[in-house]
Amino acid sequence: MINENESFIEESTKFNNLVDSNCTKSKVFNFSYQLQDKINYYLIKSFACLVILLLIGLVAMLIYSALPAMEEFGLGFAFGDDWNPVEDEFGALPFLFGTLITSFLALMLATPVSVGVALFINEVLSKKLAAVVSLFVEMIAAIPSIVFGLWGVFYLAPFVKETLTPVLKSSLGFLPFFQGASFGIGILTASLILALMIIPTITSICRIVFKTVPTLQKEAALALGSTRFEMIKIALLRPSFSGIMGAIVLGLGRALGETMAVAMVIGNSPSISASLFSPAATMASVIANEYTEADSDLHLSALCYVGFLLFIVTFTINGLARFIVWNQSKKVGG
Amino acid sequence: MNNIVLSVKDLNVWYNDFQAVKGISIDYPEKSISAIIGPSGCGKSTFLRCLNRIHEEVPGARAEGEILLKGRNILGSKIDPVQVRRSIGMVFQKPNPFPSMSILENVTLGVRLLGVRDKSKLMQVAEQCLRKAALWDEVKDKLSQLGTSLSGGQQQRLCIARALAIDPPVLLMDEPTSALDPIASLKIENLMSDLKKDYTVIVVTHNMQQAARVADYTSFFVLGELIEHGACSDIFTNPKEQKTEDYITGKFG
Repeated sequence: MINENESFIEESTKFNNLVDSNCTKSKVFNFSYQLQDKINYYLIKSFACLVILLLIGLVAMLIYSALPAMEEFGLGFAFGDDWNPVEDEFGALPFLFGTLITSFLALMLATPVSVGVALFINEVLSKKLAAVVSLFVEMIAAIPSIVFGLWGVFYLAPFVKETLTPVLKSSLGFLPFFQGASFGIGILTASLILALMIIPTITSICRIVFKTVPTLQKEAALALGSTRFEMIKIALLRPSFSGIMGAIVLGLGRALGETMAVAMVIGNSPSISASLFSPAATMASVIANEYTEADSDLHLSALCYVGFLLFIVTFTINGLARFIVWNQSKKVGG
Repeated sequence: MNNIVLSVKDLNVWYNDFQAVKGISIDYPEKSISAIIGPSGCGKSTFLRCLNRIHEEVPGARAEGEILLKGRNILGSKIDPVQVRRSIGMVFQKPNPFPSMSILENVTLGVRLLGVRDKSKLMQVAEQCLRKAALWDEVKDKLSQLGTSLSGGQQQRLCIARALAIDPPVLLMDEPTSALDPIASLKIENLMSDLKKDYTVIVVTHNMQQAARVADYTSFFVLGELIEHGACSDIFTNPKEQKTEDYITGKFG
């Protein structure tokens, strides 16, 4: 063994001297270049496989922990509206409702703002200012969600209760969405926070989409005597439609999974109500809130089942977004 | 000489500190084709882009001097560039139909921007312009297909039709055939000669033979300066300046 090693070193030293007579350091690690490439290849490949295995393992683990609840409630779990840990009765519909309604509202609020901000940064600001402003917008994404939650509890919730609710009630109070008492925390506040959190996501993707529109298209619109606004409509927004849709769906993916900030301001009540002032709970927030207190095994398992449902919803939506963006880039490329 | 439609007086253009066009004055007579030739980077495209103020889209670009369209200075600060571009159409180097619009939508966009909504009126405009652009027979059965589904040469003629739709007295063309094959180029050249009956055409070209074939007047630019301007027959057979002669005989450029 030792002999073999020595002879290997000797051989490689000879080779080394041939290649570079000054090289003294790498006597032992003197593989042929082909071997180096091969090792690197397998190293990188194993990392890549590891990531995929992790994902599979994670889902398998989730399903395994959710099995008792799956056996007990079956697919009806997703449509049951009764969540009562004391009686060991579990149905995830209130959380599905909470997640979807807050995310949907957040999108309604965030999309116009984000598209506007993206257009403003790309089309109005000079390059230097654009870099600064977009940095600020993207910084919003870097704020930890717990900080958003604190801000929501101490500032936004009182604002919603004392200022926004009276205004909405007096102007749109005839709609069922704006009836009932507001305690500050509830669907509306959670949606506002979510909107704020997904604006940077949608904005930066919209900016990328708008950047793919060639200057030539914009000039073509202007040369036909369009105003700047008409140019944006014709040459930017129209061809970017599916790209903007992709941005929205990615924002939606983020909103669906957001936990901490929402858990702090949504009120955590497993109920379904038409009023946006009423408290609710999302799939993510119920897991965060009840995980530590779950004393029965079925309760814990039901929470895992909720987690699995959440995974399915976000996975589907992300897949959809990728498909839309891919479709768009195919169109631009062709 | 005919009436002067467009008169450029002492035009200077800067990109930040770099002066791209230096004190150029040219008159363009009505219903004629004028070509601008010159080596790359001589400011001919910049000059052309000032004529409908689309140069303003480049950050840092600034034009001084006068461009008189029927006696009105279109560079004046009170003039809306949107108004200017409705009187001076433009065709670009690369065909650029709007990718999300059908052939019909592309052609009628200019009139729709002016507020025309009536379907039959739009159809009428579309047919008229596509005929003028010698494209009608090729596309009349597929008006609802995407503009980008056409071949390069057809796309460029579609862009010409689109520019004609708002009936601008002046049509600018920035190297309209440089992205096309010789046969498609020839079609565009023939089209230009037809357009001369109704429009004043100003065309930038890299191709001297093209200028000689289609243009009535030719200007020769070098490094932002106008070296020579005159009737095509003079410029190409009997140039006054040595530089012009060198360029057209291929000694430099």
